[in-house]
Amino acid sequence: MHHTAKTAALLLCSLILCCFFSSCHQQEKEDLNPSKKKYSIYILAKDGKEYLLEIDSLSSGTIKPEDRGALLNGEVMDRDVIVHEGYYYHLSRKKASFEKYKINGKQLILVAAMPLKDFSIENCKWIAGDTLLLTGLNKADYTQVKYLKVNAAAMTRISGGDINIPHPSGKFTSISIGFTELRKDKLLIGYSYNQQLGASNYSTSDTSYVSVLQYPEMTLLKTDKDTRSTSPGGINTIQSYAFNDEKGDYYFMSCPGIALGNRPELPTGIFRINKGDQAPDKSYFFNISGSVIQNHAYGIWYLGNHKAIIRSERKDLFKGLSDHYNTAHFEFYVIDLLKKDIKKLALPLDKGTRRECIIVEGNLAYIAVNSTLHGNYIWIYNITTGTLRKGLQLAGDTDFIMRTDKLN
Amino acid sequence: MKISKELIEKYHLGECSPKECETVENWLFSEETDLELQLPATENKEEHKAQMWAEIQTIFPLEAQKTTPQDQKTTPANKIPKLKPEYTITWKKVIAASLILGFISFISYRVYFTPAAPLEFVSVNNNSLMDVRHIESAAYCIALAPESTAKINYQTGIIDFSGSILISPKEDIELNIGGNGGKVIFKTGQTYIAMNGKSQHDQFILINERNLMDLPPVLQKQIISKFKI
Repeated sequence: MHHTAKTAALLLCSLILCCFFSSCHQQEKEDLNPSKKKYSIYILAKDGKEYLLEIDSLSSGTIKPEDRGALLNGEVMDRDVIVHEGYYYHLSRKKASFEKYKINGKQLILVAAMPLKDFSIENCKWIAGDTLLLTGLNKADYTQVKYLKVNAAAMTRISGGDINIPHPSGKFTSISIGFTELRKDKLLIGYSYNQQLGASNYSTSDTSYVSVLQYPEMTLLKTDKDTRSTSPGGINTIQSYAFNDEKGDYYFMSCPGIALGNRPELPTGIFRINKGDQAPDKSYFFNISGSVIQNHAYGIWYLGNHKAIIRSERKDLFKGLSDHYNTAHFEFYVIDLLKKDIKKLALPLDKGTRRECIIVEGNLAYIAVNSTLHGNYIWIYNITTGTLRKGLQLAGDTDFIMRTDKLN
Repeated sequence: MKISKELIEKYHLGECSPKECETVENWLFSEETDLELQLPATENKEEHKAQMWAEIQTIFPLEAQKTTPQDQKTTPANKIPKLKPEYTITWKKVIAASLILGFISFISYRVYFTPAAPLEFVSVNNNSLMDVRHIESAAYCIALAPESTAKINYQTGIIDFSGSILISPKEDIELNIGGNGGKVIFKTGQTYIAMNGKSQHDQFILINERNLMDLPPVLQKQIISKFKI
């Protein structure tokens, strides 16, 4: 009897050891190299589940996220994810940790992580290869502008700290950073001040600010104020609001509509900071709300040759913020930044307040549209001919295509 | 068709017609018990019974010894040994005890939990500047943000509140929230964010937590800070 017990204990020990070694072995085998797939798609499903899936072509076919995608844990991943060269970078709010992930098959795998406390990301900017510049705010009251420069390959901190952009004063309670643009040794930061008016109401300063900082010292040099519109840019980990054209002129969009600045009486507009300048060109302003569109817009994607696509809301189709995100009311327009021409794209009405939904590649723009009536498709816009056709369909449980990104 | 020994043998040899098979199977699986066995008139039923019990007793010698002399005096028909009588009594006790316990639990549940279950109306004022208050009911949990108030009518499903609340249903439930009279279906496993300001200019906002990123960033940050989500 005693002998049997001994043998059993020995067997159990060896079994545990075996499991231990095999799990170690598995981890060793895990491929942590960047994904080679071309595109990544972030899905919010009808049952509230979220998926990330990677694919090589958006041109045709049908895929179901529940079959092909990596099921995401809402505690660690959200759609404010930075997709770059085969990896996903995301700040976990609860863990206060900036994390690097990759997808192996149907698994999201943590590659590396670094602590990032008291930081709420507002904007990200890739500067030189694997160097990522994050600008954000302190988490206690969102009044202190901060930055962090990260070596994304090694996931180590290069530098970071506070930026002495003035704290909100008077009636204003917080700041929103809308864009960061690096021009040689000058960093431009666009922002506005917000005023919390109650549990469900807020407002924004009537002024857009662009501060110039000495880079990399991050000392404040000067600030430009512009009252032609407010709420310049937006959180660019969620959606794009700015770009450089071929010449080096920087365009950014202001978004005073109810979904961003909540100063709907001011127009959505496009500003330009000319090459070599450090403040918006006072002679250039593309008034979107005052055009045939007659609505506010959020999000701009550059097509090339001074053409861009903007995504604008239809105020006649939604009631307020409760149905702004789940009612299909968004339209897409191709605009000419110099001639100020506007042409509506013949796409179904799209739903989702903020989405990273356009990938531009050569002569084609892949536009992800969530239509209530016609399903979730990647539409392919031919920039030269102006034609549109349906490409990949996201079927199954898909409710929203929340973002599409070029992975490689 | 009648069940006979021959038919059963045929069935086991697999020689039955489908109809015969059906008859045998119906008989086998039927829950009705057979009628009492009819013995030929020449046989004495009591004698057979006594003989059978005598055989059984040889298998249970201990029980046989334990039978009292009184038992032995009885007619062979009553000579059925009581198998493990002490256990029978114990089981009876256990059953009785369980019944009493069950009854006591039921009564205490009614006494202690009844007032909470049909909680018709709850009014909570969270004056704290930092802490979230949690209100739990059978159907849903509500987290009340700092500086928020809520009046919950469990009977009508009307939630009247100001400030910010999170609603996590434990079952699919219809609630009337925001004072617009319309009912909204809340689904199990999902969390909903509701906001309602105190002033007239404030709007009522209700969204699924999964769509938090669709809220204006200023409101988003406020929700994240208040609920630490």
